[in-house]
Amino acid sequence: MRHWIALLAALLPLQVLALSGEEVMKKSQAAFLYAGKDFKARVLMKLINKDGQERLRELAMLRRNSGEAGGEQKFFMYFFQPADVKDMTFMTFKYPAKDDDRWLFVPALNMVKRIAAQDKRSSFVGSDFTYEDVSGRDLGDDSHVIEREDKVGARDCYVVKSTPKAGDADFGHKLTWVDKANFLPLKEEQYDRRGARYKLFTADEVADVKGFPTVTRRTMKNLQSGHRSEVTYVKSDYDLGIDDSLFTERFLRQPPRKWID
Amino acid sequence: MKKTSLVELSIRHPRWVLALAGVLTLLFLTQFPGIRTDTNPKHMLPETSDVRVWNDRVDRTFGLYEDTIVVGVENDAGVLNRETLGRIVRITDAILRLEGVAARDVSGFTTITNVSAEGGTLTVGPLMPAAPRQAAEVETLRRALFGNPLFVNRIVSADGKTSAVYVPLEKGANGAEIASRIRDIVAKEKGPERYYIAGDPVARDTFGAEMFKLMAIFSPIAGMIMFAAIQFMFRNLALSAAMMGVSMVAIIWSMGLLIGAGFPVHIMSSMAPVFLMAIATDSIHIFNEFYFRYQERGDRLAAIRETMAAVSRPVRYTALATAAGFAVLLFMNIVPVKVFGALIAFGTVVLRLLSFSFIPAVLTFVREDRLARAAASESVEADRTARILGRLGAFGAARPGPVVAAALVLLAIAVWGTSKINVNNNLVAWFKASSDIRVADTAMNRALGGTSLGYLVVQSEEADFMKRPEAVRWLQDLQRHLEGLPAVGKTFSVADYVKRINRVLHDDEAKHDVVPDTSEAIGQYLFLFSMSAKPSDLDNVVTPDYRAANLWIQLKTWDAAAMRQVIAAAADYQKASPLSVTVKPAGIAYFNLVWNDEVLGDMVRGFAIALFVVFAILALNFRSLKWAVVGYMPLLFTILLIYGVVGFAGKDFDMPLSVLSTLSLGMAVDFAIHFVGRFRQRLSETGGGLIEALQWTAARPGKGIVRNAVLFAAAFSVMLFAPLTPYVAVGAFIVAMMLLSALFTLLLLPALVMLGRRWLFQGG
Repeated sequence: MRHWIALLAALLPLQVLALSGEEVMKKSQAAFLYAGKDFKARVLMKLINKDGQERLRELAMLRRNSGEAGGEQKFFMYFFQPADVKDMTFMTFKYPAKDDDRWLFVPALNMVKRIAAQDKRSSFVGSDFTYEDVSGRDLGDDSHVIEREDKVGARDCYVVKSTPKAGDADFGHKLTWVDKANFLPLKEEQYDRRGARYKLFTADEVADVKGFPTVTRRTMKNLQSGHRSEVTYVKSDYDLGIDDSLFTERFLRQPPRKWID
Repeated sequence: MKKTSLVELSIRHPRWVLALAGVLTLLFLTQFPGIRTDTNPKHMLPETSDVRVWNDRVDRTFGLYEDTIVVGVENDAGVLNRETLGRIVRITDAILRLEGVAARDVSGFTTITNVSAEGGTLTVGPLMPAAPRQAAEVETLRRALFGNPLFVNRIVSADGKTSAVYVPLEKGANGAEIASRIRDIVAKEKGPERYYIAGDPVARDTFGAEMFKLMAIFSPIAGMIMFAAIQFMFRNLALSAAMMGVSMVAIIWSMGLLIGAGFPVHIMSSMAPVFLMAIATDSIHIFNEFYFRYQERGDRLAAIRETMAAVSRPVRYTALATAAGFAVLLFMNIVPVKVFGALIAFGTVVLRLLSFSFIPAVLTFVREDRLARAAASESVEADRTARILGRLGAFGAARPGPVVAAALVLLAIAVWGTSKINVNNNLVAWFKASSDIRVADTAMNRALGGTSLGYLVVQSEEADFMKRPEAVRWLQDLQRHLEGLPAVGKTFSVADYVKRINRVLHDDEAKHDVVPDTSEAIGQYLFLFSMSAKPSDLDNVVTPDYRAANLWIQLKTWDAAAMRQVIAAAADYQKASPLSVTVKPAGIAYFNLVWNDEVLGDMVRGFAIALFVVFAILALNFRSLKWAVVGYMPLLFTILLIYGVVGFAGKDFDMPLSVLSTLSLGMAVDFAIHFVGRFRQRLSETGGGLIEALQWTAARPGKGIVRNAVLFAAAFSVMLFAPLTPYVAVGAFIVAMMLLSALFTLLLLPALVMLGRRWLFQGG
């Protein structure tokens, strides 16, 4: 009995020091979506239906952080595949707690069009990832609680349960397995409002790029429709000195070759 | 001889016979707890059938659903107001939470993808993510709805008074259950709106469930009516009980065998008890003759022996005809139909076996004093019914020319009527016009593009073919061509998305509501669309490799014929504007068409076989082709007359009727077997005049025939009050068949015998 109390006493301060769900998710967001000052990768995306038929997307992605983690970000995408959308470019300015700004260049019409971003939960380029899955959901929209600790493979993880504060979200809650060491999300389960698991995110490969642990292969599977999307990052790189002036309409029409090799 | 010995055995050891029957019945009863039911009429076609395999493939390829419920919200003041929209949001929200609903692909105001341009900004997203709070938002919604042809007649009616939510179901979900939960959801809303829940799964699953319920109610009611009728006719409780006992035993044995053999009780086999009960009424001929004999002889055992000897041949052959009529179903392709045929054939054989054992055994227990009292009036001379029937037969025999001529005139009119028969099947029409399902379906089809859904899958050999302007335009023109059909309410395809995006990218100018000229533009438009739309939006209309496109066709009717017209129109269009693609129909409307054709085709084939088999049995029974031809006539006249009426009444020749037609042959011929058999027997016994023998036959076995017909008709008349139209049809058909074939047998047969006497008695 005495031993138990001693043990409990020894544990207590640790409990106090331990991270809250909020903090875990914040660190996770920083590691997963805000690593480096800027980032570049060639993204291969396979959209695979239940029948095994694939749609292919290939694009160059550039990202630049304007400030701290959780702050404003700018994205630039140039499409290689499918072949008939080659030269299409897509630009997003992401603001915390505000709708994104999005622009698209349509080569067939030689036209830049502003696209409304009324729904962050809509599909990203037809994949099972939503815009939110790609660029992050506002942490303040959910309440986060560490449910338990678990392992994904050999990695120790926090399992964080995030529940939307507003009732009108299109999902009930999600569970995120956050790596205790590098704070990358290794697995995420999204539950619909009936409480049934309907989407499963897995980080299939994590690589070290310039000292930043980076998820280089990931899958999002819709468990109800059987549709899934596999994403691979090749040629990932950080801190390249991508200039803010790149993120303009001019470059949407004339993407700089230097960045989209 | 074998049968008489069975009879001998039974009257010598009646207790043993009854005990044995009881034990066997208990044995079959032990199988009952293992009962499995299958209420889905769709399962008439096995999962391996071409149409189900193909439809499954199309569903997988295009991410579609086999079944969709359509929920309608109607407000006479228009649905575009904050209150109604708020209700639509709440209702859709609650539907999304239902188990069995494919929530991700529910289409309604809150979930459908809208492509629009406001102030130079392209918007791709849900049309109405939340209920509007201000009147201005309602106006914006109104503009979005009516500015987008994809929505009008699909999720909103042109007059703005009706809105629809399309609720696709996960595989295996029960449409009737989900529909009833949706009914609970809309019941919570107070307001001026009316709600409709329509769609094939609702009708189909409700029908399946109702059918079982009806059988559970009708079988006992039919049984009670028969019991009362027998009691009225024979005024002896033991006899009435014996008759009912025989049918109960046959039902228990048959159903026990079915369940024990591991077959699910399907909607077809759920009808077996009523059919067996009706077929059991053939034993009436035994009681009928027994009463006459007992009245003549006054000796019970001798009366039993003589009765069985006299009626054994006709009873055996009517049983054979009935069993054969059902057994031809074994040659059909549809498994539940085969099972049903085998089930009734088995039951009929059991019934006959019992007629020669169980019934004589029971007769030995009947108290003589009661019997004497009941049978007292039972003689051709004393009995009023028998006298009238005798006169009817005599009339036919005395004026054969006019009787046959009148019958021929009737026949000619009937044949003319049959030419008006319309072959069609409509699942929703199986419900009465006043039923919730019919009302909902009618209202939705009046307001919107249609509750029945068919597809045309347009396939090419080449990848990216469906991005070509000529292919997209071809689809668009095919849609316009199909929309010319009155049954087609709305169509939609990838062409609609392409045109919509083209227009929206050009500041919503109407002149850009066209297919662009290059495949690059089409590819980029669709890519742009897919950047924000739900993945299913594009998957539903085109394959990822753009080799195949799927054209959606909403039909305003569940008539199988509607989809047939669509297929024919598509073929015409393809002939007029050739393109190197194949066009194949799919979807639930197509399934219903194939299902209809398969069952109908099967039944028509079965009908042809049954016609032949019944004739063969007559020939075998009478040992004479000539007598077979004569005996065949009442059957032929009855059937043609009924179909003449069907034709004139404008009632579709549908699946239930086709099933009945096949079944009816084996039953409608029974009376002729009794009549001709007993008539020829009488003739050879007395060696007397034709007219006397005909009159006697019409009076004495004729009374049995009338009793049989009345009982049979009484049992089935219950169905006339059923809430499902196929039952009403079955009831009307059987009642008409029994009464007509009795009439033709008693009136027309004597006339034909007289007219053809030289030919019939040639050389004899």
